[in-house]
Amino acid sequence: MTVSRNLIGFRIRELRKAKRLTQVELARHIGISASYLNLIEANKRTIAGHLLHRLAEVLELDPQILTGQADRQLVDELIAVGADPLLRDLRLTPSAIQELVGRTPAFGRALLTLFRAYRENVRTVSALSDRLNRDPLLGDLVHQLLSHVTAMRSMSEILDSVDDLGPDRRRGFLAAMNQESSRLSDVATSLASFFQQTSPAAPTLSPADEVDDFITASNNHFPELETASTELAEEITRHGETMLSAMIEYLGRKHGITLSRESPLTAELSRYRNQCYFDEETKRLRFLDNTSIPTLRFQVARLVIEKALSPLVESLIESAPMSTDGARRQAIRALASYGAGAMLFPYEQFINDAREARYDIEILRQKHGASFEQLCHRLTTLRRPNDEAIPFAFMRCNPAGFTSKRLPIPGFPLPSQGHACPLWAVYGCFQTPGRVLRQYVEFPDHGRYLFVARTVTKRPPTFHAPQFLYAVMIACDVIYADQTVYGDGLNLSSTGIADPVGVGCHLCPRRECRQREQAAISPEDPVER
Amino acid sequence: MQVRVLIAEDEPNILESLRFILDREGWQIDMASDGEQAMALLAQARPHVVILDIMLPKINGFEVLKKIKGDAKLARIPVMILTAKGQDKDRKLAGELGADLFVTKPYSNADLVNQIKGLLDMANG
Repeated sequence: MTVSRNLIGFRIRELRKAKRLTQVELARHIGISASYLNLIEANKRTIAGHLLHRLAEVLELDPQILTGQADRQLVDELIAVGADPLLRDLRLTPSAIQELVGRTPAFGRALLTLFRAYRENVRTVSALSDRLNRDPLLGDLVHQLLSHVTAMRSMSEILDSVDDLGPDRRRGFLAAMNQESSRLSDVATSLASFFQQTSPAAPTLSPADEVDDFITASNNHFPELETASTELAEEITRHGETMLSAMIEYLGRKHGITLSRESPLTAELSRYRNQCYFDEETKRLRFLDNTSIPTLRFQVARLVIEKALSPLVESLIESAPMSTDGARRQAIRALASYGAGAMLFPYEQFINDAREARYDIEILRQKHGASFEQLCHRLTTLRRPNDEAIPFAFMRCNPAGFTSKRLPIPGFPLPSQGHACPLWAVYGCFQTPGRVLRQYVEFPDHGRYLFVARTVTKRPPTFHAPQFLYAVMIACDVIYADQTVYGDGLNLSSTGIADPVGVGCHLCPRRECRQREQAAISPEDPVER
Repeated sequence: MQVRVLIAEDEPNILESLRFILDREGWQIDMASDGEQAMALLAQARPHVVILDIMLPKINGFEVLKKIKGDAKLARIPVMILTAKGQDKDRKLAGELGADLFVTKPYSNADLVNQIKGLLDMANG
């Protein structure tokens, strides 16, 4: 295991000092010269497997802590923080950020936590401001308030200034003022309630961020869920000719759940998410007529996981508690989807199929009867130690560029907020819907990757219903590209022509890029990773 | 000739207080509590000035204003918008539709009367 030198040198120096060891002493312990250790600590030399383990032994550490994978993710996120307009003038250079994380990762995590809290607060304030300006209830209350005040003011002026007001008229106006003041107090009470509505303390992370962190921290691989899902699949398939019929039989037998199909002409379409919804009351899993078989199978599988492996899913979430119910529900859905993938595409068979097909997703689709997105997602979870597939990152976005799902891999600069570089294939593939687009790219730090992207559509249930279109992309380091069909015919050497891309305009130093939408970061500080 | 004022306002107590103060000026007051009624009264007798709320039932004040200013027989009648909706976009729309004055609630009775007199002078001038 060779470790990138970016962070580890700083880390080793800090840990050595914490142990009150000189360079000479530590070097002697691990069997290298002090001058070589000095080069390692200065990040001028890499450190390889045996030496790394020996060093970890002397420093009494788990070698994983020295690999810095999680820290590399933290560095990427802090570089994005440094590019935020709020902090841009401080010119937080990537090298300084790397040193911070290398020396004191806790401070780095604290900085990231604070920034996320700030970002969430900005979103909340913006939403509240929007609401104040546009909330119909508030608008109506203010209108009523002004109307009652107007009536009272006008009548009180009359009572005050008109000397020859007859007693009957006077009584009439006083009664009307009494009536208006009563209504005014009702409106004022309603307004006070409106502003005093208690809300739960704003979380520092959005539910999506929390679930992303949870999945990333687990390296998008849950061994217990893999095992349990595979065992469940084996048990279920004894009771049906096909996986789908077996799962339907299982749901009926074990949980009293039935399936039904609904015509879009009569179904309440708004209740159907992913073309189906589970009616808890009637214990019926309802699908629209136009649901594709891959979607049907996957959604049935997800329900099977939710019902059969609920205790396991709950225990996995308990290991990384979510701060809100919303995040918890999303995490449960994410794990249920994971389990569905593990059940439908069991690990060993699927990884063999993937390698045999050289990761040709079209071949895998035909073999497994699955959708492009389902398979891309499954490919990202093949991270079993000692039997790992190509590490893929995953991204899904809509035509407006909004990223609805992201599964990063260490070292790959997948932005955690905002849009990615507009030159990425995930956006370009919208121009050729339904066709797989491959792209060989190079980042400013010379990192090279292979992108594979395609649009995905959900068939609309009726002519008038909107068509849901989005793009799914997987990405891998170019060193793996020759193991895939998508690398065929490409010159993947360092002299080959790759599309020059960035992470996103706000982070990109490519001043000459004609697709640039935002100001470049400091030119004297090229991004290094 | 006695000045005739049409007031279109759906809040009864505001309508009554307006009627009282304008009546004291010796003006003939026609009162409508919704937009349809306002149009009906306009058809019956041409007022010298119209005081128009925006938030009227049936046909809102902007629609009434548009009809007045779009009718060759009525377009020269000065129209005062009298409303609690004081946002810039409402003011802008009122101006685009041809309102002669935009007054926000709450108001001073004396100021309101003076403003109406100003509109009448402008119409006569």
